[in-house]
Amino acid sequence: MARGFKRRGEVFVAKLDGVERGLVVGLMEQVHGMVVPAQRGPGDKGDQFDQIVAGIGGMGLGVSLSGEDQDPAPSTSASDDPALRRLFPSANREDDQAAAEFRRLTEHGLRSRKADNLAAAIGALTAPPDLDSGPGSGTRRVELDREQAVALVVALTDVRLVLGERLGLRTDDDMAALEEQVAGLGPEDATAYAVAVYDFLTWLQETLAEALSR
Amino acid sequence: MGVVSIAPVEQESVATLERTEPDVPWITLVWNDPVNLMSYVTFVFQTYFGYSKGKAERLMMDVHTKGRAVVSHGTREQMETDTEALHGYGLWATFQKDS
Repeated sequence: MARGFKRRGEVFVAKLDGVERGLVVGLMEQVHGMVVPAQRGPGDKGDQFDQIVAGIGGMGLGVSLSGEDQDPAPSTSASDDPALRRLFPSANREDDQAAAEFRRLTEHGLRSRKADNLAAAIGALTAPPDLDSGPGSGTRRVELDREQAVALVVALTDVRLVLGERLGLRTDDDMAALEEQVAGLGPEDATAYAVAVYDFLTWLQETLAEALSR
Repeated sequence: MGVVSIAPVEQESVATLERTEPDVPWITLVWNDPVNLMSYVTFVFQTYFGYSKGKAERLMMDVHTKGRAVVSHGTREQMETDTEALHGYGLWATFQKDS
């Protein structure tokens, strides 16, 4: 049973079991794959992502965020996949040329920073278990310093933005309508399962954001 | 935005902010979206702009209830920097000339 984040001095503590950690890490891996620039520039930091996720195993537990698995499949370019359009939105609503110029100048850097941040959050959640908490798959204390906590709260935003887009959330009322639609359906229903996952991520992020702004 | 926490309902316009820097012609706006949490948006305004919790919550409530809020004023270059940073946090930010 998960327990949300609480602040203890300068440490942010939660309890997550192996399935919950695997779910969050798997979804962050998927978003990392969507945002990481195809080519890293010479000034970019080396990506430690491959080392961090080596051995974790493919996860996401049945929820695929990839554009290729959506129906219909959007293109992988930022201009065509609505989830990428949400992660890298138009920066000027009055001037298309200014928006295009902004995108040209900032998208690569934003993609790199988001990828690095997701990798940092994945690293924070996959640190070796402490000794007295039993097997790695059991419930485990997650202890983050402030820097790791900020990385995770931002990474959870990116994951929720993509999942929210895949679920068709466009207005503040859409979530309630969706909850109603899947009420009574079991986790074998793909949408009901994705909604449950979204709710779990929302709850986890809420506890962390509250703890951080205290 | 996603409604989980009970936020203070004080309604104070951002007009005070606008009055303090009348001759700076560019603004950064943050737009409401159904995903970002009220607590998280407040955290971002505090962390990135260094705003007090009260000011951050007022701006967040403006985004939530009015659909958008002006979160900073300055030169075009500064507003582009703020917009880029807010995109990094996953907020839906835009910059434009103040009208």
